Amino acid sequence: MAPILELSDVVKRFGGVTAVNRVSLSLEAGRIYGLIGPNGSGKTTLFNCITGVETRDGGAIRFKGQRIDGLKPHKIFHRGMGRTFQVIRVFPELTALENLLVVTTSGYTESRARAEELLRFVKLEGLANEFAGNLSYGQQKLVEFIRVLMTDPELILLDEPAAGVNRTLLNELLDAVRALRERGKTVLLVEHDMKVVMGLCETVFVLDHGEKLAEGPPGVIQSDERVIEAYFGR
Amino acid sequence: MRRWLPLGLGAVLALLSLYPLQATGYGIRFMLQMFMWIALAQSWNLISGLTGYVSFGHVAFFGMGAYSTGILITRLAWPWPIAALAGGVMAAVLALVIGWPCLRLKGPYFAIAMLGLNEVLRVIVSYYEGLTGGGNGLSLPTLYASVPIYYAMGLIAAAVTGLTYVVVTSRFGLRLMTIREDEVAAEAMGIDTFRYKLYAFLLSAVGPGIVGGLAARDQGYIEPTSVFPLITTITMIVMALFGGKGTIWGPVLGAVLLFTVQEMVWARFIYLHQLLFGAIIVGVVLLMPRGILGVLQQKYNLPRTI
Repeated sequence: MAPILELSDVVKRFGGVTAVNRVSLSLEAGRIYGLIGPNGSGKTTLFNCITGVETRDGGAIRFKGQRIDGLKPHKIFHRGMGRTFQVIRVFPELTALENLLVVTTSGYTESRARAEELLRFVKLEGLANEFAGNLSYGQQKLVEFIRVLMTDPELILLDEPAAGVNRTLLNELLDAVRALRERGKTVLLVEHDMKVVMGLCETVFVLDHGEKLAEGPPGVIQSDERVIEAYFGR
Repeated sequence: MRRWLPLGLGAVLALLSLYPLQATGYGIRFMLQMFMWIALAQSWNLISGLTGYVSFGHVAFFGMGAYSTGILITRLAWPWPIAALAGGVMAAVLALVIGWPCLRLKGPYFAIAMLGLNEVLRVIVSYYEGLTGGGNGLSLPTLYASVPIYYAMGLIAAAVTGLTYVVVTSRFGLRLMTIREDEVAAEAMGIDTFRYKLYAFLLSAVGPGIVGGLAARDQGYIEPTSVFPLITTITMIVMALFGGKGTIWGPVLGAVLLFTVQEMVWARFIYLHQLLFGAIIVGVVLLMPRGILGVLQQKYNLPRTI
């Protein structure tokens, strides 16, 4: 099967710093992938290149077989790729419900039904009309997560979904991610919590200093010497 | 609340439409200018209150409308209502030309660019004497039309406020607010932020353009310094901030309160009102950045439509 997302030799530089250096990776549809690496290894920058928030300086990004590098983020989103951010980026002075409604372009009634269904899915229906900025950190994280699902994207990029989320909430979130896979969705997540990565991902990519260091099933990656060295030093 | 708001609004509109029957000339002119400020503050609110892109040169659209209307009346003898509407169209054209490059700028850079636009327009208008009369200004044929202009100004103030109501209660308006809240996230969530900003900018230019044309007709004489003053931009910003930016009724409230106070103080002390305005800016920014209505909405958890 053709990969849903394919990166070939993607490069991103900030002045003299090469944040992403010739990274190539390929994602098959219907699987959960992890992207790990020490701080500053280029994970978020790579996310930004894929979603169009940053323009890459070299290489090609193909989504469903078509080039998407150079497209604006809103165009990429409407092709079926959604993302969350490492730092929460809900719209604080919009209600939880409105945060979801702004995303879709389909009819109001249809969008509203979808939004209410998603709020029930994460048990936030009681807070639908509360300003997103008034919700707790974890609740905001959930709003951001379901906001991505409003348009039913095929590929979902999650930047540190587990950070700052309590255990109960985290388990709900992980269940939701697994449920997405069962519906044939593809997920790529950046995560520092190794338990989450090991329990969820089928394939893990390791970045270090902007380069892809390793790729493989979590069990293999965990014992890879280069990976251990990157994290803990020699 | 829901029941008496439309009733109260209807009563106010009815009173205002009957007002010229028994009003003095001063009363008419007072109200006419209040309508003008409502339209200006509300228009500024459409772009800056909703998207957070602060326009520091919004009087440029007012001046554009004033000169377009003035020229159409003096050179082509157009009737003033049509000429004023054409002023609105010209302001929108200007907004398109300026917005296309400038709305790609972020935050403070956009504010500075708009400030520059107003200065450049003033210089251009001063320079092209053949068309605009240059520094000597443009005298319009004498016409006593305070009452029709009163109605026209009132209509525009109501129309811009009605437009704001429609925008704020729609998903279009919510999307404009996402730009204010977090533009990067809005873009990542599929919102074509540039296009939305441009739409809001166009909408925000039409009102000042028409109102500028009506003011030109009302005053009968315009010159570059009288239709492009920075203080007009500052006044509309202060009115919108004071009443509550990003709300439907905030700019109306701010314009009514501040214009009334300004007129009352103005009558006694010419320069004191500038001092008062300065104090209000500082006070609002420090003590209640959301404005009167913003504070009330937050405190009593009122819906956006109030």
